[in-house]
Amino acid sequence: MPVTDKRAPGVRISDLSVVYRTGAGELPAVRGVDLELVPGTITGVVGESGSGKSTLALSMLNAVQPPGRIRSGSVDIDGLGDVVTLGGEDLRKTRGRHVGYVFQAAQNSLNPLKTIGKQLLDLGRSHEVDDLPGLVKEARSLLDRMGLDGARVLDSYQHELSGGMRQRVGIMLALVLNAHVVVLDEPTTALDMITQATILRIIREVHEERGLTTLVITHDLGVVAEIADRLAVMYGGRLVEQGPTREVLGAPRHPYTRGLLQAIPRLVGDIDEARALPGRPPTLGTIPPDGCVFRERCDVRMDVCETGEPPVLTIGPRIVACHTAAGEGEQKETVTTGPTRGEEQA
Amino acid sequence: MITGKGITKTFRQRGSMLGAREVPALRGVDFSMEKGGAVSFIGESGCGKTTLGRILAGLESYDSGEIAIDGVPMSSLSHRQRQSHFRRIQLIHQDPYSALNPARTIHQTLDAPLTLRAKQTGRSRSWIDERAEELLGLVGLDPGYVLSRYPHQLSGGMRQRVVIARALTVDPDMLVADEATSMIDVSLRLGILALLKDLRDRLGVSVLFITHDVATARYIGLDGELYVIYRGQVVERGPVETVIADPVHPYTQSLLSAIPVLHGLEVPGAERVTPTEAIDPNRKDTGCLFAPRCPFRTDRCEAETPVLGHDGGTVQEHACFHPRRRSVVATPAVQA
Ligand SMILES: Nc1ncnc2c1ncn2[C@@H]1O[C@H](COP(=O)(O)OP(=O)(O)OP(=O)(O)O)[C@@H](O)[C@H]1O
Ligand SMILES: Nc1ncnc2c1ncn2[C@@H]1O[C@H](COP(=O)(O)OP(=O)(O)OP(=O)(O)O)[C@@H](O)[C@H]1O
Ligand code: SF4
Ligand code: SF4
Ligand SMILES: [Mg+2]
Ligand SMILES: [Mg+2]
Repeated sequence: MPVTDKRAPGVRISDLSVVYRTGAGELPAVRGVDLELVPGTITGVVGESGSGKSTLALSMLNAVQPPGRIRSGSVDIDGLGDVVTLGGEDLRKTRGRHVGYVFQAAQNSLNPLKTIGKQLLDLGRSHEVDDLPGLVKEARSLLDRMGLDGARVLDSYQHELSGGMRQRVGIMLALVLNAHVVVLDEPTTALDMITQATILRIIREVHEERGLTTLVITHDLGVVAEIADRLAVMYGGRLVEQGPTREVLGAPRHPYTRGLLQAIPRLVGDIDEARALPGRPPTLGTIPPDGCVFRERCDVRMDVCETGEPPVLTIGPRIVACHTAAGEGEQKETVTTGPTRGEEQA
Repeated sequence: MITGKGITKTFRQRGSMLGAREVPALRGVDFSMEKGGAVSFIGESGCGKTTLGRILAGLESYDSGEIAIDGVPMSSLSHRQRQSHFRRIQLIHQDPYSALNPARTIHQTLDAPLTLRAKQTGRSRSWIDERAEELLGLVGLDPGYVLSRYPHQLSGGMRQRVVIARALTVDPDMLVADEATSMIDVSLRLGILALLKDLRDRLGVSVLFITHDVATARYIGLDGELYVIYRGQVVERGPVETVIADPVHPYTQSLLSAIPVLHGLEVPGAERVTPTEAIDPNRKDTGCLFAPRCPFRTDRCEAETPVLGHDGGTVQEHACFHPRRRSVVATPAVQA
């Protein structure tokens, strides 16, 4: 674990539920999520497509767009308070300045008609940065730091940059206003292995140099394994397991984490040991309203899993939400009860 | 059996900002695959994997070289005759969603090519429906569930199986699977890989597998071959297990070193290779193409061009003047 940095704020996500309005009513994409980002650490959230990762990332900025809304819960950031209650100007200033972010597919979200430098100045003006030359200098040194020719990149248009270069531009824009909480949604998707390895190394280095609290969202367990101090596994809108990365990977406790690890094609060893998980990941419409979200694919399911919400158990530094772990650890008092709760957050 | 000899391809980009530009995508590639065999291409983005796959599937022209199918050189045939050969090679697209028409049920998707096939082979209408069900069964789908559905009602893994079933409607000899598993959720990925292996075993279909994810290459068959491609050139080639476990080319070693390590489950290889960041990777084309990024280059590498061979008595072929084994791949951690 890296040394806790005084500048790095802590973040506490509590009982967060986010719903999307659909033809079948409001359905939860994130449900009862509790997650603490320890100051100065990198937390990785891993989950398959549709498990709610991006929705969770957007909630960190209170940026969930209609037809979605945060139905309940809070995102408490040191020095800022609960961002879920922020609105208007306060919220706009928070984004970028205090919480830096790179959204999913950020490499395609740059303005094609303006140079990177122009977009940087726009960003500075919208945040009332007085010292624009200073901002440019900072951007250049960040880009240089990431192995690019900063001056050249700032003079370039998006189409003149490769995918890996755009990804780094995104990271620069997330950091240039000196935010100390950083959210990166799929920062290396669509990059090849060598470029990915470079970007991951850079994220780790910049994180340490600047004393950040970082959240990395990815569908690739390898990515979190490589850079995250702590790992949270998401399935069907819930966090099913959390803990120090090495411990979770070395001895997974939740049947889904175990299944996921077993399903990863590996470079060495017996190929017959790898096994696909039966069934398919749930979608918004097929997530069961009660009982365990994973039960249809679980090979150790019990009767109680059909109806009973799995208890959220804290076992040392680890948290597991599964009936099989019952009795092993301390049960959290705030067991969530799903959709009936928290209507106060409109 | 399909073979390629000395295949070259250069794209000419016009109207780019820098004026006309030549992109050498393939620089003299040899290829061969037996019936029922498996060959995987790996390499960085833009190295020419897709181009080579498309050329071998008859979907892209090439500048020089020769492709032969079952010993028949394609250049000796008329366009029509060539087409009938290439029809036996089917491409599976990486994105199973855009590969299927969203307005058509799975039944409709399979019906069209099967109707054509029935006409070609003089079969009756009833054969079409039977065959559709048979093919879906073959790819591990329940026809009763799938046939009446639209693509968006199926999971990524199911859609990819439908795409494969559709490719099988023409009884192909070879499938070209270009990143066929990369868009599919991890929990479903192994299922598609097992299916490809199964099609090889049961139907004798050859599989050309193009991927970023080196580990997946093992799962379509350990008897397969791996081609490592760098800037349009094969730099290392051999049995999949040998190239992964005992790579000797520094580029292969860089690729394998870049694969994330599952810390806690695995320990990283002791000699991981990080390529130096090339100032301009396209700077020069003499000498070893990898020299600008190779941490082990010598003067010889800049002056002479290495060619594929077994220099140093290696099992696999490689194109390097200084082949050396390095342990770059992660190994399982000893469980406490
Ligand atoms: N605007 C929307 N309207 C309706 N449903 C939505 C909307 N955005 C997301 N969803 C649904 O919410 C669920 C979670 O979506 P989210 O984008 O958070 O998943 P994700 O884990 O980031 O997936 P991916 O890996 O594909 O990016 C999905 O089932 C998705 O279909
Ligand atoms: N139609 C085209 N016109 C011009 N250049 C092309 C064309 N198709 C491919 N290229 C170029 O040829 C080279 C090889 O491309 P190819 O698509 O074969 O790479 P790849 O190895 O499949 O990459 P990826 O892993 O990104 O799919 C690249 O430099 C690419 O930009
Ligand atoms: S709660 Fe039950 S169904 Fe869910 S993962 Fe645990 S054992 Fe399986
Ligand atoms: S020939 Fe030389 S430059 Fe090329 S890969 Fe081998 S050692 Fe490196
Ligand atoms: Mg997402
Ligand atoms: Mg390609």
